[in-house]
Amino acid sequence: MNLRRILLRKLVYVVLTVFLIASLNFFLFQILPGDPTRVLLPKGCGGSNVTSCTLREELKAEWGLDQPVFNRYVIYMTNLLQGNLGKSITFRQGLPVATIIAQRLPITMLLVGIATVFSLWLGIILGRISGWRRGRPSDVLITLSTLFGYSMPSFWVGLLLLFYFGVAIPVFPTFGDRSANFASMDLFSQIADMAWHLVLPALTFVITNVAWFSLTLRNSLTDVLPEDYMVTANAKGLTERQQLRRHALPNARLPLVTAAALYFGWVVSGAIVIEQIFAINGLGQLEWEATLSLDYPLMSGIFLIAALGVVIANAVADILYMLIDPRVREA
Amino acid sequence: MSTSPDSLDTVAIFRERIGADLVRFRKFLRQVVRNRLAFAGLILIMFFIVLSLAAPLLVGPYPTQFQRTTPEQPPSDRHLLGTDVQGYDTLTLLLYGGQVSLLIAFTASAVAMIVGTLIGLVAGYYGRLTDQVLSRATDFFLVIPWLPFALILMTIMGPTMATMIIAIALVSWPTTARVIRSQVITIKQRMFITRSRAIGAAGSHILRKHVLPNVMPLVWAEAVLTISGAVFTEAFLSFFGLGPKDNPIFSWGTMVNQSYQDLGLLAGRWWYFGPPGIFITLVVLGFAMLGYGLEEILNPALRRR
Repeated sequence: MNLRRILLRKLVYVVLTVFLIASLNFFLFQILPGDPTRVLLPKGCGGSNVTSCTLREELKAEWGLDQPVFNRYVIYMTNLLQGNLGKSITFRQGLPVATIIAQRLPITMLLVGIATVFSLWLGIILGRISGWRRGRPSDVLITLSTLFGYSMPSFWVGLLLLFYFGVAIPVFPTFGDRSANFASMDLFSQIADMAWHLVLPALTFVITNVAWFSLTLRNSLTDVLPEDYMVTANAKGLTERQQLRRHALPNARLPLVTAAALYFGWVVSGAIVIEQIFAINGLGQLEWEATLSLDYPLMSGIFLIAALGVVIANAVADILYMLIDPRVREA
Repeated sequence: MSTSPDSLDTVAIFRERIGADLVRFRKFLRQVVRNRLAFAGLILIMFFIVLSLAAPLLVGPYPTQFQRTTPEQPPSDRHLLGTDVQGYDTLTLLLYGGQVSLLIAFTASAVAMIVGTLIGLVAGYYGRLTDQVLSRATDFFLVIPWLPFALILMTIMGPTMATMIIAIALVSWPTTARVIRSQVITIKQRMFITRSRAIGAAGSHILRKHVLPNVMPLVWAEAVLTISGAVFTEAFLSFFGLGPKDNPIFSWGTMVNQSYQDLGLLAGRWWYFGPPGIFITLVVLGFAMLGYGLEEILNPALRRR
């Protein structure tokens, strides 16, 4: 199969899945008891609250909320296609959801990007040792401790780190992604300042997620080690280091690419609690605020973006795998 | 079956079957004990289950509003783990909290197993269009980001035990459906299925009598892994303050949420922040270890890896 056809098929898959997710998103709000339009409009019209009155009428007209379900569905889809995710009803009343999300997305991507790179780096180091020394004490120690980290709820780890390295021994900042005087710094100190603020959040990601990479590499290494070419490499008299670097790792590394792409797809899910705890103004904290203020349009917008991220990351993972693995490319 | 020889026969057959099952079960137990991962996991889980169930014996009845004392006391002889911000004994909350967390996790996992196994069985056995539709649906639910999805579900349905269970089950069934489907596809090729079909057995009969018993061990392994994930998910949702409001007992996640809300840890009051987190971690780890161990026992191909 040629590359173009595969890419085309992936594209169709992405579009179809996104369409289905949008539909699910629409119908989720129809299973409510009573009038489904109720939660999609701001409450408390009347008295001094004039904004929510006009917003109510505006939203009702824009989303056809007085029309039958099917019409509403068509209107919803049409609006989505035009990039209209709706308007916030409680958190930032009247502001378009797409605008709010666009403001918050970059810092989340940055945080998750940094966290992915470091988790991957540490995961490769640990996975290499435990895969090569399978069953020996070092392997048991690494596997158990990474699994232990994986079992810890990230909000709990985040709070612990915040307490020990932010409050008890105040080494790292405890709040936000930049200092108050950020604007007056030169570019270099701006980068340093931000990095300094992101150490603890990123560390939380690494502790709770490094198992994702180290176990992937460990398992693929153990698949590779019994192969004939490894026996040959050993018989040639190569040192362990050479066998590992030249022969085992290049083949075992492939699943890591997929793992990394898939991991990056969980941007929002992973960032939600961590951003909240470290008060980083990203998409995750936005989700927290939307949930607490019951801002349904905002929640559904974030859900859509998060799902879009996963779907795209899945497709990218498949394509990357194909590009770097000649066996898959030929097949 | 009114004559005595007939009924005796039934009893004998029954005994024989139970006997065979017992022998098989004992053999299986021995394998579990021999698999260090599974055994350690089992011990961990049993410890926490017994601890939660024995809560009334160990710390007395769940405290009412009126049994509160001075809030935020550090650990002492009277309160081994101190008291929380509302003046409840932390140790009491902790032991009872396990009941809520585990009950939600077990029920949600049971629901997820029923849905996942059913879909996996039907998709794997009938194949073709049925499989196409069900597999696409499974893939679809696999890519849905679980936390935002569960959060929407919980907020629109209201934070109760039932909705929490539904939300967790909805995000955890797809993995099982996938695993069961692929197992069914390999079992379907075996001789005894062909033989059954040749003598005219209906699809539903074959599924129930031949396929299901053969995938059942795998379902158990998946159930254990799902419980592990469910405890985790419950903790996250409760940390969001969406812990079930129709149950007066706080779950572990709710306890951490309480500590977070009143900045308990930041003020150095670790005793009602630390323990629930450690309990969540160890339970999640225990179920995960048992689950992976069971998979290893059931699937010899994994053991060689």
